[in-house]
Amino acid sequence: MFQNASPELIITVVTIITSILGIVLGTAVPALAEGKAVQKALEGMARQPDAASDLRTTLLISMALLESTAIYVLLVILIIIFANPLNDFFFV
Amino acid sequence: MTGVFPEVAFVLFGIPIRDTVVSTWAMMAIILVFAVVINKRQPVLLEMLVDFLADTFTNVMGVSSAPYLPLLGSLAIFIAFANIISIVPGVISPTKDINTPLALAVVVFFSVHYFGISQKGLWGYVKDLASPIFLLPLELVGQLSRTLSLTLRLFGNMISGEMIVAIIFALIPLFLPLPMVGLGIFTGLLQAYIFTVLASTYIGAAVEASEIKPKKDKVD
Repeated sequence: MFQNASPELIITVVTIITSILGIVLGTAVPALAEGKAVQKALEGMARQPDAASDLRTTLLISMALLESTAIYVLLVILIIIFANPLNDFFFV
Repeated sequence: MTGVFPEVAFVLFGIPIRDTVVSTWAMMAIILVFAVVINKRQPVLLEMLVDFLADTFTNVMGVSSAPYLPLLGSLAIFIAFANIISIVPGVISPTKDINTPLALAVVVFFSVHYFGISQKGLWGYVKDLASPIFLLPLELVGQLSRTLSLTLRLFGNMISGEMIVAIIFALIPLFLPLPMVGLGIFTGLLQAYIFTVLASTYIGAAVEASEIKPKKDKVD
């Protein structure tokens, strides 16, 4: 299938496959981690309602930090799909 | 992908000026005008805003946040306004260019060291930074990675929101981009809050006393 493949075709196919793999892993793992964090925070809030606002603030900050790793994955994949700077090396 | 990435607007004295820079100037003027006008009509609103910000930072930092409130409050208001202003058609928000979040993160980096040194003195601050001496390289790399992560978090959230709206607009332009724009605004406000809270955490960690030396009681 890849006997007469042009470099553009190979680059495009590899980009598609790796970006789908990357997005699937890169959103599943942070989502699991955030679910664990919310679970523990809710248990703590139910056990001690007085500390609820402290827990809520810590939970928000921690979820934003966990979310940022998913954003890094999304950023890299958007860059390689739309604005891949290495294309000039292969297509010239 | 025009309109997603920033472009050069005009050339001033031989320096090409991007449209995000023009947007930053316009935002500075608008914030200034708002502050002066609201101060004349209802100063209570400004007091409420300042009290809210000061309480938030004091809760996070553990010490009184009054000396650091000008820097942190300006960061909060600037980033929140910058993330929201892209809803006006034709305006590109300054944080969608990677240079603006990078500049803000560099400001936070230098201000952390400045406040630490002004609070503890140069030798005290370096001593606190290198308390177990073999952790000093890790500490330095950690400082750089904090700056990088602040930049990428803010920029990544903004640019991915914009790209998702652009892609959905290319597919179904009728009503579907609207919830994505709403999500982008919510994410923008949340990211402004997160950036400022993280900056205040770093400053609080730099100025707090690392160990409490017990005072010897003098018996008269």
